[in-house]
Amino acid sequence: MIADLWSKARQSLLFLSMVIIGLVFAFPLVWIAMSSFKTRVQNFALPPLVIFQPTLENYTGLFQLQNPAFMADYRNSFVIAVGSTVISLVMGCLTAYGFSRHEIKMGGCLFGWILSLRFFPVVAMVIPIYVLFRGLKLLDNHAALIAVYCIFNISFTIWFLKGFFDEIPKSLEEAARLDGYSPFQVFYRVCLPLVRPGIITAAIFCLIQSINEFLLAMSLTARVAETAPVALAKLQTAVGPDWGKMCAVSSLLIVPILIFTILVRNQLIRGMSFGKLK
Amino acid sequence: MSEQAVALNSGSSSHGVGTASTRGKWFVRLLFAPTLVFLILMVIFPLFYSLGLTLTDYTLGGGSSPRFIGLRNYVELVRSGDLLNSSVVTLEFTIAAVAIEMVLGILIAYALNQRLPGVGIIRVLVVLPMMIAPLVVGYFWRFLLDQTFGLVNWSLSAIGLQPVAWLVVPRNAMAAIVLVDVWQWTPFVVLLTLAALGTVPDDLKEAATLDRASAWMKFRHIYWPYMRFPVLFAFLFRTIDSLKMFDLAYALTGGGPGDLTTTISLLAYRYTFLFFKIGKASAIAWVLVIVISIIVNILLQVLMPAAKPEEQVVSTGL
Repeated sequence: MIADLWSKARQSLLFLSMVIIGLVFAFPLVWIAMSSFKTRVQNFALPPLVIFQPTLENYTGLFQLQNPAFMADYRNSFVIAVGSTVISLVMGCLTAYGFSRHEIKMGGCLFGWILSLRFFPVVAMVIPIYVLFRGLKLLDNHAALIAVYCIFNISFTIWFLKGFFDEIPKSLEEAARLDGYSPFQVFYRVCLPLVRPGIITAAIFCLIQSINEFLLAMSLTARVAETAPVALAKLQTAVGPDWGKMCAVSSLLIVPILIFTILVRNQLIRGMSFGKLK
Repeated sequence: MSEQAVALNSGSSSHGVGTASTRGKWFVRLLFAPTLVFLILMVIFPLFYSLGLTLTDYTLGGGSSPRFIGLRNYVELVRSGDLLNSSVVTLEFTIAAVAIEMVLGILIAYALNQRLPGVGIIRVLVVLPMMIAPLVVGYFWRFLLDQTFGLVNWSLSAIGLQPVAWLVVPRNAMAAIVLVDVWQWTPFVVLLTLAALGTVPDDLKEAATLDRASAWMKFRHIYWPYMRFPVLFAFLFRTIDSLKMFDLAYALTGGGPGDLTTTISLLAYRYTFLFFKIGKASAIAWVLVIVISIIVNILLQVLMPAAKPEEQVVSTGL
């Protein structure tokens, strides 16, 4: 009897702690979303308003914003993210397949080096690339930022997809070769379709990483190719503590990431760690 | 695309002779060449260029061309105390944040490792913070931690505690950064640990319960062996990421007050875009690269031996 009660109490306690944990991590986001619908005055209210008359003025204000031109920047973020993701996937697929199926001299070292790029401090890349691009007049254009993002996206894609390619049984490829497929056709017709789920997941991770990136975007762009995170940083200094606008921008950056996260929720561990964990 | 860089594994195309294997060779080159060329161009070259820069007094917009000054940048950096200050800041932050994240993460993973209703939703909620841009997280926490109007201080006073001047007082600024980092990245540890806990076979757990094992015994002998690898991975990743942290400090405190939360990455950034001292900035960045490389190697040595016993078993054919 007592044991039953004790176990029920434990269950309830665990359930409560679960809810609290969920709230701790989710509530700030909810609060930010709510605050984006408040006026400037409402955001300075004490005690903080939970019930209030929502307004769209922060969002409409963003449309009209010139400095920074937020909507243009927001679009840039997506354009650059998609561009970099597509290129990285193409190159990454090829090389991941290469690492999976072909032994090359120092292949292990090479693969390890590509993996280690994930640990590389971005600031160490920014400085020489900024200096070089400045000299080559390559600053503030989409292609430059796309190319730089490809560095990290390709290395991620290679490591992520190699595991998927590894899982394809060699006998499948050998059968295809016997049927007269060229090596490229084996890759393109047999293996590639089989790793499609991996490709989609890798694409989403690359998109997330590219949209969220800040330091490179801030250093290498100015007006034309500026991205949304840079606009957010500029907004802070331009309009001071206009929390409503800041929350609106944050919400606009959180929502796509939220959608993408839900899409890859089952692959999150693989995407964020070495993926050796099954 | 040098011939030496790629050697075809003739085993996979043993049927092909002559034209088939030459096609195969071209294909392998296609697989590796574009990526290698790209990475050499965009990574290796800039890296060595920046290493060279550390030995000059290159100042952007300085007019005169950079002169070679040997190791003077490094000496001046050490003497000025900037590098030391940032190193201390970075280390303080890393140790505090990683320690808290690991402990909290494991505890939360334990709590979430239940078959209770709604656990699935809670798990998705928990995962959100780490997917959001650190910059965005920094800015909206600045809002939440606002001294007068922020939700955090209001909540504190609502339960009878003193509101805290989060971002202007030196000790508090560091605490604030650690707090926000913990909020954002504990889910990472939770995720990895949860996955590990999920691999523990049920019969092992039941056997332990039947044998009246205490919670500590269960942890040490049943859960920990399965948790070890993922937890060490989480530790490695969080440590490295904390050492190179930039976005969060930039958004939350801007490195301030003064330079009391200026991490090494932030320092390098300041030297580049505020002082335009490219030579010194590159030196700072390279110090960070070297430190991170050393730590990665040390930590991997610690992790990798775990793999070796298994490899030995496999190689003996058991």
